[in-house]
Amino acid sequence: MKYLLTFVVDERFAWEATPEEARETIERWSEFDREAVEAGVMIATEALEDSSSATTIAIEASGDRAVTDGPFAESKEQLGGFCLLECENLDEALEWAKKVPLRAGHIEVRPVRDLSELGYVSPTPAPAKAAAR
Amino acid sequence: MRFMLTLIGPEGGYEDVTPDQMKAEMVNWEKFGAETMDAGVFLAGEGLQPAETAKTVRGGRDEERVVTDGPFAETKEQLGGFYLLECKDLDEALEWAKRVPIRDGAVEVRPVMDYEAMGYEDPRDAGATPAQGS
Repeated sequence: MKYLLTFVVDERFAWEATPEEARETIERWSEFDREAVEAGVMIATEALEDSSSATTIAIEASGDRAVTDGPFAESKEQLGGFCLLECENLDEALEWAKKVPLRAGHIEVRPVRDLSELGYVSPTPAPAKAAAR
Repeated sequence: MRFMLTLIGPEGGYEDVTPDQMKAEMVNWEKFGAETMDAGVFLAGEGLQPAETAKTVRGGRDEERVVTDGPFAETKEQLGGFYLLECKDLDEALEWAKRVPIRDGAVEVRPVMDYEAMGYEDPRDAGATPAQGS
């Protein structure tokens, strides 16, 4: 079963990292990613640019699509990144969520909708090392 | 260049939909998915279960990692799904975003960070390149 882990972070919290701290942070994330890939659970993961880089397309009831600069919601907490995992169950997904090396903020864990009954099969590729499972 | 398209909108609205109408709705999503695959831009995309199924884990030190029921924010509009696309620029990403068959809500488009300059090596192999349509 697939789970999406979304990382919610406070963008006002500007982190003045020394080059050494930045390197350590990168290493921690690399380690987490490697571990998840080795376990055969990692499908996709990315960190996003700040929400100031966002463009939002509003879908009107009429079908019109209006493009505006900025994120959907101007909240202090924003999506900072995500991780899509293939896990046995919610417990396994939560174990991985606890290991995400986020220094501050929250990790929301949500199951992906199974639409196979409606004949829809997700085109997302299997985990990088699916054979390991 | 990679872009994340997040699909945000009010939840529900499908309670009175017949199975046939739902199947017709899915055809639109399949078509969009197939077009992104054929164009070689599709990396990943999923629809999520409702926000009430969410659990939230607090970040920080190990002892601070408390798990709570529900989404991070109890807002009317919630993340409903996403696409991760490989596009040549923002304009191309916006063109795809305009075609996402969402009926109500918004699509937020954001570039993905490039950490390679900081020494980050992506541990994925096959999963790191766009899936190609047949």
